[in-house]
Amino acid sequence: MHSTLPYDPRRSRAPERSFVGRVGKWGVSLYTRGMSLAATLGSAVLSVRTPGVSARRVVRRVLLTQIFYTGFQAVTLIGTIGVLLGATIVIQTQLVVPSADSTLIGKVLIAVVLRELAPLVTAIVVAGRSGTAIATELGNMKVSSEILALNSLGIDPSRFIVMPRLIASIASVIVLMVYFAAISLAGTAAVGIVLSNTSLSGLQAGLAAALTPYDLVLFLVKGAGLGTIVGWLCCHYGLEVKSSPTEVPQMASRAVVMSLLGCVAFNTLATALFYWTVGPPLR
Amino acid sequence: MLENASFRYGTLWVLLETSLHVAAGETLVLTGENGVGKSTLLYLLGGLLPATTGRVLFDGHAPNVSRPSDLVRQGIRRGFVFQHGALFANLTALDNVLLALRYHADVLGLDEQGIAKRGREALHELRVATTDFHTLPAHLSVGVRQRVGLARALAVEPNFVFMDDPDQGLDETTRELVLDLLVRLRDERGMTVVLTTTDPEVVRRLDVRVLELADGRLGSLRRA
Repeated sequence: MHSTLPYDPRRSRAPERSFVGRVGKWGVSLYTRGMSLAATLGSAVLSVRTPGVSARRVVRRVLLTQIFYTGFQAVTLIGTIGVLLGATIVIQTQLVVPSADSTLIGKVLIAVVLRELAPLVTAIVVAGRSGTAIATELGNMKVSSEILALNSLGIDPSRFIVMPRLIASIASVIVLMVYFAAISLAGTAAVGIVLSNTSLSGLQAGLAAALTPYDLVLFLVKGAGLGTIVGWLCCHYGLEVKSSPTEVPQMASRAVVMSLLGCVAFNTLATALFYWTVGPPLR
Repeated sequence: MLENASFRYGTLWVLLETSLHVAAGETLVLTGENGVGKSTLLYLLGGLLPATTGRVLFDGHAPNVSRPSDLVRQGIRRGFVFQHGALFANLTALDNVLLALRYHADVLGLDEQGIAKRGREALHELRVATTDFHTLPAHLSVGVRQRVGLARALAVEPNFVFMDDPDQGLDETTRELVLDLLVRLRDERGMTVVLTTTDPEVVRRLDVRVLELADGRLGSLRRA
């Protein structure tokens, strides 16, 4: 659970001298941080079941605002990156395999854009754009005692603060991934037609041949997982701020770094597991 | 309210096994030197901090720091006035007051009209100008912010009110307003009020039980 202490200025800072003592201290610290991380996610998920019709209405409004900031406002940026990356992939494919036909280009696009770039790039953009905003906002709320004020008014911070941001992050990452993939494939098709002899119908056929139902599952699993990681870690590190405004940028930076690490690790794990379990149909 | 409660920051004990009962409708003043832990004790009494040992009870109900809405559903409403306002920076003065009313509208039995009416009344009572209703806290003066904080705390018609140095940094007029309000809370509304102060004038005007915090222990200074 998060510390709700407004400040903690007098913690013991006596250095641990023995090796065993230091390892023990590190282990305890690791365990505490793990439990705190789990509590942030757990309390947000469980807060969905908290009763209160009017509270639900207020939280829904917060959720819509968060979806607007996290999802809608990122559309232009995601679209631009999608077109440019899609074009780059086609150019590189043409350079490496000049004789590439539409089937091969289709396979490359599905493998690179749909399965890897769309989830990862979208999550990175959301973490960089909204993750920093979330961590900074929550950190400032902690410093100015706004979280304590919510608590005093009987408003659950995990329900009012964390849960809407978590859901908004998941929904935004999934929708933006679809948008990224669509824009990227459209950009790819345009560049492919200009650079090579590939026809639009040929490319469509290549994409259709390479696309399998498993891709949809992988796409959704990655979207939900990456969205959860970004929303969860950014809320967690924002709420980890104790009392000083100087902690806010430090925690915002840590939130984004940990989100990026988490996203890359999750993406690799999801890809490896997926290809290991349903690999043959994807080849 | 406090049952054998202790509290520490790291290795430093702020409160040592202390029991304190505040009767329903009583107004209690906590005093002590700067940095002695008055605000921490108030946070503890208000259920905003979990006690290291012992517990805090409101009419027999223990607060859950991670799910404070449980208390409201059990009929326990708290109003807390923070030293520096702690207003929600992204909400206007009026929305600051309305937030808790909207959140608990079903428990409080309020419709949208009732919510707006009660929020406006609370601000008017604290003499917040109508022109400030739709202003963000950053654009309000310290005195107005403090009054909005008071209005936010009182709008939910709390059974328990906690105030952390409510008259600090206020001009004479606003200070008088706050002192008058404190006297009215003591006499009229039947709310249990606990406040911290270092101002002898507040102690004199309220003329109620005063406890002094020193070295982690509460000592009775004076009983009215």
